[in-house]
Amino acid sequence: MSRCQPVSRPLIRSLQQSHTSASLPSIAIRSFSSTPARKDEPTTTTQSSGSDVSKIEEALLGARIENPFDGSLGSRRRRAALATTTNIPFEQMPYQTFQEARKILNADRQEKIAQIVKETAKIKRLEAADASTMRGGEAYKQKRLASLREYVEELKILADINDPLVKRRFEDGMGDMNKPIYRYLAENRWRGMDYKIITQRIEQFNVVPDILPKFDPTMDVQLSFRGSKAAPGTILDSRLTETPPTLRMQVFDAGERLLSVVVMDADVPDPMSDGFKRRCHFLAANIPWDPTKKTLSLHRFGATPTGAAPTPSTSEGDLAVPWLPAFAQKGSPYHRMNVFVLEQSGPLDTAKLKELYDGAGRDSFSIKSFRDKFNARPVGFNLFRSVWDEGTAGVMQRHGIPGADVEFKRQRVYSLKTPRKAKGWEAKRQKPKYKHLWKYTKRIGTMSGGT
Amino acid sequence: MSFLSVNITLRGLTSRLLPPSSPTSTRLIPAMSAAFFSTTPAMAAAAAPAKGGAPKATPKKKKGKGKGEARDPKIVNMLQHFAALSPRRIPAPLRMGRNRHLRHWTIHRAWLMFRRKQREQREGTLMRQYQSMHAACEELRQTEGPGTRDQGYLYRVAMEKKGVYGHNGVPIEYARPQTETPARMAWNHEWKP
Repeated sequence: MSRCQPVSRPLIRSLQQSHTSASLPSIAIRSFSSTPARKDEPTTTTQSSGSDVSKIEEALLGARIENPFDGSLGSRRRRAALATTTNIPFEQMPYQTFQEARKILNADRQEKIAQIVKETAKIKRLEAADASTMRGGEAYKQKRLASLREYVEELKILADINDPLVKRRFEDGMGDMNKPIYRYLAENRWRGMDYKIITQRIEQFNVVPDILPKFDPTMDVQLSFRGSKAAPGTILDSRLTETPPTLRMQVFDAGERLLSVVVMDADVPDPMSDGFKRRCHFLAANIPWDPTKKTLSLHRFGATPTGAAPTPSTSEGDLAVPWLPAFAQKGSPYHRMNVFVLEQSGPLDTAKLKELYDGAGRDSFSIKSFRDKFNARPVGFNLFRSVWDEGTAGVMQRHGIPGADVEFKRQRVYSLKTPRKAKGWEAKRQKPKYKHLWKYTKRIGTMSGGT
Repeated sequence: MSFLSVNITLRGLTSRLLPPSSPTSTRLIPAMSAAFFSTTPAMAAAAAPAKGGAPKATPKKKKGKGKGEARDPKIVNMLQHFAALSPRRIPAPLRMGRNRHLRHWTIHRAWLMFRRKQREQREGTLMRQYQSMHAACEELRQTEGPGTRDQGYLYRVAMEKKGVYGHNGVPIEYARPQTETPARMAWNHEWKP
């Protein structure tokens, strides 16, 4: 009888298996079973004895999951405690230190809220007051108001920053980005690593002197191509970048604004001037954005036909220059494909943008001139790189881009110095006359010089 | 215990640095760990008997292999430095469930908040005391002294440092002339006043 349990355990398991997939052939379920395939398994099922019927039934009807944390185990006191204390809200958990800590934090929060009320009243009073009665005049009043408002924003963050539920909600990604505390936490997280990486890429790929004279991103922009994330600065396959990316954009300041997205290639080889030019690969403007919005798919802009079609002006933004796949001709060094997000000061004229940058205007595009012409401020940045690979020719052919057969080669630069004879003990003993010394001398080669 | 931990953490290193079949790799580490890994004399003392019990076995092993070469000092140095990274020196990070971690975090924040409040209160008190002292001195400076004394007499008297080093005393630093080096004769025992 004592052997019943060990014997019946595999038995129950096999019964469960046959119960869950009775109609399927045993081959189909083989890969999911935890036990190795055994030839004698069918024979074990026939060994069922009458004493284990209840156990087998239990196993068939509903397997009892033996979870040591569900309250079925432990001392009487533990079981009683677990039976009465399930589903207590987190903030009411009866841990003494925790509750004392919550009291302290709540008191502080009440203080902060009282301070906010006070400061808001002060702002109201100051707004109502006449600026001419103040010593600093209108300038003083505005400055004072701005600093008071900033202080209130700070207090709003401080009131909520010690709340464990806020922390939990933020970590779960359920935070309401309209509230200052979640925006603050999100910005902190971004500044922790992603911002540092982006600034490092800006520095090491010389984006700052090459493309913009000065730039510090203030919003988070992440790229993903066909659903796969691309780390900033990676060299991507040209077949992957054939379709426009999806941008995950997060702004950290409150309010609605209009953004424009520019994708440009900063390394287009120009053999005529023996240098490099820039090219605009994508330009969309008037994209309304606020902190609650997360992703912007550039496919959506690409869906509309270009050319004679009417301006695809929607509430989601206007396309000015459709997506041109990233490509690098053979032999050219890697191309930096920069994705800039600019904050507009007002709605832009899409027709003018098209006239300026679409078609032939793609070449020699300058983000600096765009910024100055349309009064847009660069706020977000990301980049990827592209090189010639086995898919580039196909991509260029599919999109009607000429130049797939061009290969760039470095020109040999000859030294302007006249060849000099090698000098020294070694050079003297290179000739066959000193053959017996060759095992001691270095073979410094020809005496052509100019190396 | 130390032998185990060191052997586990530095297994890769020792196997790379030493020939795999060499018995010294297993034999020398406990001796070294006893020497370098004990932080207190008590631990060293506790490790000593184990070492004392071993020596009978150790020379035998040495004889058996016929190889008693000294440990390369470079390896010893490296092992000493790696020992600083051993789990005995650096405790493992706290692992908690989510709710428990959140409670821990809450308590930690509350503790920081409490200490901050306390500190600010103390600083405020000190500041107020200092200000009130300052105000009192200013008041003294502007009063005309008792009787025919002129203005500020009381302040000057109050600022005098008489008796702060004891009655007619001088700071102990001036009890003997300050020198760059200690005296050649540390104490003159024959000296009589």
